[in-house]
Amino acid sequence: MSYLLIVDDDQDFADAVATVCRADGHEAVVELDATRAVSSFEERPPDAVILDVMFPENPNAGFELARALRKKAPHVPILMLTAVNEQFPLGFSSRDIDPVWLPVSGFLEKPVDFDILRAKIRELVAGPPATGV
Amino acid sequence: MDTGSPTPTPPLHAYQLPACDATVREVAGEDTFDALRDRALLRQNAHWFCHLRWIVSGGLAMLAVAGVPEWTTAIGLSVRPTWPLAAASLLAAVNLVYETVLRRWPRDTTAGRIRLLLWIQIVIDLMILTLVTHFVGSTTSYAAFAYLFHIILACIFFPRTESLAIVAVAAVLYAGCLLWEGTDSIPPRTVFAAMEDLPRTSVAKSVEAWRLASLFGIWLIIWYLVSRLSATLRDRERQLAVTNRRLEASSQERARHMLQTTHELKSPFAAIHANAQLLLGGFAGELPESARAVVYKISQRASMLSQRIQDMLQLTNLRSQAQAPPSPTRFDLGEIIRTIVARAEPVAALRGIRIQADVEAVLVRSVEDYWKMLIENLLSNAINYSRDGGVVNVLCRREQHATARVAIEDRGIGIPADKLEKIFQDYYRTQEAAQHNPSSTGLGLAVVRQVAHLLRMSVTVESALGWGTRFTLLVPTCTSHVEDS
Repeated sequence: MSYLLIVDDDQDFADAVATVCRADGHEAVVELDATRAVSSFEERPPDAVILDVMFPENPNAGFELARALRKKAPHVPILMLTAVNEQFPLGFSSRDIDPVWLPVSGFLEKPVDFDILRAKIRELVAGPPATGV
Repeated sequence: MDTGSPTPTPPLHAYQLPACDATVREVAGEDTFDALRDRALLRQNAHWFCHLRWIVSGGLAMLAVAGVPEWTTAIGLSVRPTWPLAAASLLAAVNLVYETVLRRWPRDTTAGRIRLLLWIQIVIDLMILTLVTHFVGSTTSYAAFAYLFHIILACIFFPRTESLAIVAVAAVLYAGCLLWEGTDSIPPRTVFAAMEDLPRTSVAKSVEAWRLASLFGIWLIIWYLVSRLSATLRDRERQLAVTNRRLEASSQERARHMLQTTHELKSPFAAIHANAQLLLGGFAGELPESARAVVYKISQRASMLSQRIQDMLQLTNLRSQAQAPPSPTRFDLGEIIRTIVARAEPVAALRGIRIQADVEAVLVRSVEDYWKMLIENLLSNAINYSRDGGVVNVLCRREQHATARVAIEDRGIGIPADKLEKIFQDYYRTQEAAQHNPSSTGLGLAVVRQVAHLLRMSVTVESALGWGTRFTLLVPTCTSHVEDS
């Protein structure tokens, strides 16, 4: 069983994800902003982070948080969930999964199917460590 | 009644909303932008000027060589090789110095320094030209009109006042040459053999003055016309650059706004969809079958609306980009296709659909974002209209004549022949498609059409009811493939 940190400004969505994770036997904690997420990460490093991209005060907060968390713990998997897919300019693509620029382990697009999300989480917490800096 | 003292006002923090937004302010900082543009243009002109000088120097060297044989006398010329050779060597030597200086100067060298170098070049050129004019014949030839080349170049390089100063320098040098020759200390020269031995005729000073004035008048007229034309062109170029910059800023602002709008509109549906899945999954207790059916419909509709919002915004974004599409880059189309296939596989697997990919590395020069949209929408279409447990084939292969074939093929419901040409219309769905996949937005293939138009590419669709559908694109490739690059 793993300890998961869910960071998303949409509490309704984050709580639903946490419910599913807990039902799968994981321990899940929800943080609604990036600053609190860093404190929570420092207090108790999770086995995986599920992270939103855009936050109300900063549309790039998810990217910045991913970089900050990766510096602290290069081997913790980070899964990004985003309502904005890569088809827009200024978006991002899977090739951006780069240890320096955007060090995340995978993306899923919202609305996300929970069966796919659960499979992805199982894969991340069981798989080899994420690429680190 | 409360007679207590009123609550003191705490220190207030203030913020004043600026009169213009960030984009406008950024474009308003045009002075810096102009300085950068002028610097680049001046540097480019300085290099071009050096190239021209090599040509002139070569021409003078050839004249020196041609002056040696006797045949020049036969055509009435008498060219002593000394002066063209000296002028050619002098020009070559100074040109070498200019080029070395230009190469060594860093990219951020100020426009003022480059302009000073151009000034030095023009003044030295005019001095050498005066020497050449003296030997060719200051009054017996049209050599004085050669000053016009530098006057025209000065009009291109410099503002009007500076180019007028160059006219003045040329006038002083030419008049000085005539005065110098008039003192008898330096006899006038000419390249015309027939005039060499003629006695010097005395021309009235007033005639000489009128001749000189008319020549300078011609120079001034040419200066006025060219400098005016140059100023107009520079102004147009500046306006064009500013407009272009505003368009770029507006395009970036629009893209950012589009991203945020998509996020804001899709997020609530993501939450609705997620919570509906909790109900369906029994995470909030078991639901009666009739309630499950209702929640399932809510979940499907939320997901569909979210997809429709994205498709609509994407289509609007693409249509507004028709006038100013993003710049193309070189990339491996095969890698893009493999990535999209990998991302679509879990979604397809939910319905037992297998994606068979036969994808080669293909280097193309195009807009990467457009290709992602194209492939993602075609693949999504193929999965949506496949039957459960079916197969989708994705092919990307290099072919002859620098092209690659990209094909996405399903073994799904197919499209009737008479409806094939309509499937790319906004919101169009065949009756069969609407029955097979009620949550389709009808915008996926409209996005494909818009992207194909932007890429100036045709899409071939082949289909038969019950057999399935194949979309094929022929893509121009770069000359070298990924393995070679």
